[in-house]
Amino acid sequence: MLALSGLITFIVVFAFFVFLGFYGVSWRKGDLRRLDEWGLAGRRLGTLLVWFLMGADLYTAYTFIAVPAGVYAKGSLYFFAVPYVALTFPIAMLTMTRLWTVSKNRGYITAADFVRDRFDSRTLAILIALTGVVAELPYIALQIAGMQAVLSMMLYGAVNSKFLSEISLIVAFIILATFTFTSGLRGAALTGVLKDVLIWIGIIATLTSVLLSIHGGFSAALSSVPKSPPFTGLKGAAPAAYFTLFLGSALALYLYPHSINGSLGSEDRERLRLSTALLPIYGIGLGLLALFGVLVYAVPQALAVVKALGPNAVVPSLIYYSLPAPLAGLALVGIFVGGLVPAAIMAIAAANLLTRNVVKEFYPNMSLTLEANLAKWISAAIKFVALAFVFVVSSSLIISLQLLGGIIIIQTLPAVFLGLFTSKLEPKSTIAGWVVGMLSGIYLTLLANKFSTISSTVFNTALGPLYIAVISLGLNVLVTVVGSAIAYALGYRVKSAIREEELAKLL
Amino acid sequence: MSLNKVIAGILLAIPFAIYFAIPAYNRVDPALYGLPFFYWFQLLMLAVSTVLYTLAALILRGR
Repeated sequence: MLALSGLITFIVVFAFFVFLGFYGVSWRKGDLRRLDEWGLAGRRLGTLLVWFLMGADLYTAYTFIAVPAGVYAKGSLYFFAVPYVALTFPIAMLTMTRLWTVSKNRGYITAADFVRDRFDSRTLAILIALTGVVAELPYIALQIAGMQAVLSMMLYGAVNSKFLSEISLIVAFIILATFTFTSGLRGAALTGVLKDVLIWIGIIATLTSVLLSIHGGFSAALSSVPKSPPFTGLKGAAPAAYFTLFLGSALALYLYPHSINGSLGSEDRERLRLSTALLPIYGIGLGLLALFGVLVYAVPQALAVVKALGPNAVVPSLIYYSLPAPLAGLALVGIFVGGLVPAAIMAIAAANLLTRNVVKEFYPNMSLTLEANLAKWISAAIKFVALAFVFVVSSSLIISLQLLGGIIIIQTLPAVFLGLFTSKLEPKSTIAGWVVGMLSGIYLTLLANKFSTISSTVFNTALGPLYIAVISLGLNVLVTVVGSAIAYALGYRVKSAIREEELAKLL
Repeated sequence: MSLNKVIAGILLAIPFAIYFAIPAYNRVDPALYGLPFFYWFQLLMLAVSTVLYTLAALILRGR
């Protein structure tokens, strides 16, 4: 178990985190009875706060735990996380600036709001909203799994560690739900700053101390890794999987509701573009952490814990064994709140979609106050559903669902990303494309895993193993484009309510 | 399309070209303190990409 000084550090920093969460309510005060004030922080976040918020939002506890765990278990292939984060941000610079602009001009809060007007189709908007919610839920559950990895390391060897860990999670979630309910995205943005600072301290301190303590650095670690999988690069057909994994993931990230929600909280287009351009900096931290998956092989004590608790223990155990207790407490609380902050934003984003694009479609006369209240309650409910899910369902099922999440969220690309650049896509064809992408994606995933627990998201083709998200997106785009061309030939003409200038500049 | 937009577009496209060229960096040597080229090159390119994106954002400012 972590020494007392470490536990005290953990608790003191967590208390400060809670204070910041509640303090968010008085930061750039707004009328929190309105959904855009609560769920988008009134669109008032500047360059630095958007950078911290998006950093906290995208580089989550799960990422920091799972990427090193992936490298530990699957070798160099899992380093695809680095080109993935390198390439997702230019895509966001092109798409999110346009989405931000049209949302500001027309008062949109979600991507589905935009799709509804762009395609003049309620059906498509509801489909996009539900896809977002379904893809988001396992993602929230996995944040909790990341937090569990931290707690089980802190309580390693203690009596009743499982019980203590569950109680801690429940308390943390009650606090989180309370301050998200009161402060909304403002609370998430302020706590995001704290989380990012803690994570950076943790990464730099652990990496330095591990490298100093191993004689021979990486060479020593690489001489103790298993023969297979390869750790020194990509072998055989692996480059095909590597390429499609980073490309598909880069295309998918900014389709997730939490990415879009965070971006729309920006106070202007230029600042959003600049802070997005600066986001790969966090990727350097993630890449360094990924190397922990190699380094752990050279630290026998940590390796023994990983073998006992599973690959998710790579980062927590290296922190535990290489840093003095107070510093280890600081780094561990960083990862712990690194699960809470994104869980809050994800729940806000999913609640915005359910309220605006599903419930409101059927009760269009809802008042602004009722709309905001409904979203607040839904966001609280989502967190506890995710928590219950983690306690009840096996972790391998949650991971399966999250892997599938990436494949289903990418099916919203034609409606959202292509829709931002062209008004020529015909709604029924876009729906058909979504259906084909969804069915083919799910079917190929089940087939690749022989209809049991999902552990692989690549499918063997004549071109080598390819990420299923990319294959099914290809089919989706093909159906959407060919269908639209046929519709044009048959006399369909564009009905988009949105003019090009509304996407290009503030009016 | 203005010249600024073209330049910004090229800046944003460079990292794609680099990361797409997997055979060029899928190698062990030259290693850096024992870390294979595969790892440190991609990490270094992350820093380079950040600079290119930031330049593009500054060029596009006010447009």
